[in-house]
Amino acid sequence: MFGQGLLKGLAITWKELFTRKVTVQYPEEKLPLPERYHGRFELDVDKCIACGLCANACPNKVIQITKEKVGKKQYLTKYVMRIEYCLFCGLCVESCNKDALKFSHVINMNQYYRDKVRLVLVDRPAPEALPEEEPAEPDAERPAAARARSARAEVAAGKAPGKEG
Amino acid sequence: MGENIFTGIAAGLRTILAGAGVPPLASEFIVMLVKLVAVIVFVSLNVIWLVYMERKVCAYIQCRIGPNRVGPKGLLQTVADVVKLLAKEIIIPRRVDKVVYLAAPILVFVPPMMAFAVIPWGEGMAPIDLNIGVFYVLAVASLSTIIFWMGGWSSNNKYSLVGGMRVVAQMVSYELPLVLSLLGVIMLTGTLSITEIVNAQRGTWFIFAQPLAFLIYFIAGVSEVNRTPFDLVEGESEIIAGPYTEYSGMGYAMYMLAEYGSMMVISCMCTIMFLGGWLAPFGWTFLPSWFWFFIKVYAMIFIFMWIRWTYPRIRVDQLMAFGWKVLVPLSLANIFVTGVGMYIYRAIGW
Amino acid sequence: MKTQTYVLNMGPQHPSTHGVFRIILELDGEVVVKATSVPGYLHRGIEKLAEARTYTQVIPYTDRMDYLASMLMNWGYVAAVEKLMGIEVPERAEYIRVIVGELSRIASHLVAVGTYSVDIGGFTGFLYCFRDRERVLDLLEMVSGSRMTFSYFRIGGVADDLPPEFFPPLEKFLKDLPSLCDEYDGLITGNEIFQARTKYVGIITPEMGINYSLTGPVLRGSGIPYDLRKVRPYGVYDRFDFEVPVGKNGDCFDRFVCRIKEIRQSARIIQQAIEGLPEGPIMAKMPKVIKPPAGEAYAEIESSKGVLGCYVVSDGSPKPYRVHFRRPSFINLGYLDELLVGWKIADVIAILGSLDIVLGEVDC
Repeated sequence: MFGQGLLKGLAITWKELFTRKVTVQYPEEKLPLPERYHGRFELDVDKCIACGLCANACPNKVIQITKEKVGKKQYLTKYVMRIEYCLFCGLCVESCNKDALKFSHVINMNQYYRDKVRLVLVDRPAPEALPEEEPAEPDAERPAAARARSARAEVAAGKAPGKEG
Repeated sequence: MGENIFTGIAAGLRTILAGAGVPPLASEFIVMLVKLVAVIVFVSLNVIWLVYMERKVCAYIQCRIGPNRVGPKGLLQTVADVVKLLAKEIIIPRRVDKVVYLAAPILVFVPPMMAFAVIPWGEGMAPIDLNIGVFYVLAVASLSTIIFWMGGWSSNNKYSLVGGMRVVAQMVSYELPLVLSLLGVIMLTGTLSITEIVNAQRGTWFIFAQPLAFLIYFIAGVSEVNRTPFDLVEGESEIIAGPYTEYSGMGYAMYMLAEYGSMMVISCMCTIMFLGGWLAPFGWTFLPSWFWFFIKVYAMIFIFMWIRWTYPRIRVDQLMAFGWKVLVPLSLANIFVTGVGMYIYRAIGW
Repeated sequence: MKTQTYVLNMGPQHPSTHGVFRIILELDGEVVVKATSVPGYLHRGIEKLAEARTYTQVIPYTDRMDYLASMLMNWGYVAAVEKLMGIEVPERAEYIRVIVGELSRIASHLVAVGTYSVDIGGFTGFLYCFRDRERVLDLLEMVSGSRMTFSYFRIGGVADDLPPEFFPPLEKFLKDLPSLCDEYDGLITGNEIFQARTKYVGIITPEMGINYSLTGPVLRGSGIPYDLRKVRPYGVYDRFDFEVPVGKNGDCFDRFVCRIKEIRQSARIIQQAIEGLPEGPIMAKMPKVIKPPAGEAYAEIESSKGVLGCYVVSDGSPKPYRVHFRRPSFINLGYLDELLVGWKIADVIAILGSLDIVLGEVDC
């Protein structure tokens, strides 16, 4: 009969009028993020061996690594991600053999200025000589790493963005 | 209780004016002015509330919460929107017909506002009790066609033009069944006075005496206010916003608010003609008459909204076909049946 | 009386062209006399970009083609490279691919159904579909970490195993899905106004469908049961029991209904895939650097919009020499100009919506 579908539609919307609402009030109420969520990157500097696999894995050349040779080992002095070009595909995290680069659950990476978007994970001078596994050493560099990891990452000194593509 | 608040205020005003030595004619004029201003202010506030109500109803139907940030429960959302729109620049595209383009959004509020002059908000609460009230409302309401067309034509935009053409076609076609469906009621009561029509429903509401007319009136009414499923004029998925496409800021807001104004007119008329106006159902007179009137009007408005957020839009040729091939013949048949029925009733002496 | 036609430029900024698609309509009143579609506003040169990337690095770019069904886009590309290298994908990986691929298809069809409802003018159906699509996206987010651009497939397998917390919500979703589909059917499909708007509108005859090499629900709506999963099963699709829904008249309504029916069928496939999910590795034995031998390969999969083909040419280096995608949305659009003639403006939207295009894929 003509009109049956019309009435059924009305019945459905009437029912939905009283069902529980599915939206959440965002800033007050947050949905849990899954374990594998691709949020902001974090780098465990102590684990990083500055091998550069992540920089090679990146399809967009987002990751820029500067390293210096200290003694026999490569020492990571700067780890900058040009997040504005990042696809968040996770290939870099996957390529990391030492489990140093990881995704965190930080989602608010928005900035007011484009040059502030750049994510500086490590920015530190190379020491004269690499101390042999001394517990005192990390104290000196921890604050630097922590500062770099904080939300308002400092802008890397003008490094010209590489050619896109 | 509360039944005579508003009539009491008017009477009080008259006494005060008489006490101040104002001649009766001037006093009547002042009272009338106060009434009309009160109605305009009241309707404007109501329209603002209706926008909020629409958003809430729509949100609840769509499993959302809707506006809830500005003011308690988001009640001030529309106020904030209106303030924002007032502050926005009114963009006048280069090749528009400026006078008509700017006049249209101002004039668009006039027809619904004029219609409200004769609506009885409660027992004895019509600002003007015309003896041809129904006729007046229909005549005034049909004016809005030309105002939408003004907007559509002057914008010099093809989407607006298509929208404007649709307005004229749609409103003219649906005016006819709208009026014809009311004829049944007018035949039963033999009057065009709104007050008398309401009083004639003390026995049965005309929705029961004239169910077909009610249905036709409702469908044509939905079409008259350009709401889904007959929102071809706006038709946002096809022609962007129809006649309003080029409008920005308050110009656009006026159109939107006027839409709610006309929706109220249609709902008020529906209440008056078919739902017994201010009469309380089942003799529940513990609530004042104006309160009943509002309950009925808002129930009608809710149904408008409910339908809007359920149905898709019909196509322009289907709209025309439905109007001319279904609604007009049906309303004519209704008049015929009403006439025959009245004759028979009279013959058997009821 | 002499009348004049006029040109209406629909798009690229238009609410219902599903993105930045442009149609130049020549109209006589409201009736279309001539239509010229102008795609290309979202062209990013993904095929060219792929030539400067290693084989693995192309995967995130395929996400950006049909961003509503990224998993399936991944699959098309990965299948071609695997074919080129002759890799046998482990069974568990194939099953995982089926699960996430079908979930992606459901998500894509939900968008198609919802946006079609809004094209016809019913806004509420859109939000119901998106409400339920959120659940699919939540599931896929658990698997891949992203909500739309998953980059979950890898050459030789998938990036990660399915997490254990993935299964209970998936089961619940599959249980709810039939009733949700009933809700769409009740609200949208069963509505007489909707039927009046879509039935016998924009009819594609089976012959024309084949001649224009249309695929996916657009072709199946015309009554041709051509579904790669059935006619030329790839992966492990030959092990599942499902039907290929077809339409009768080839009108907008049939194409629309086909999608809802396919959602139900996808749910069946996922159910069977979960039950049959074998243990084992999720990646084939892969060399450290993916360097396919010189040569070329073409692989096809059934994406939500139709047959997604991927053609990869290798010159033996770690970067592809040439990658080409046969994008179903783009090819389905080929018939649009002819299809639109004689219909009204409102039907233009209805017909375009029923083809279910995604501009990321059309323009690539």
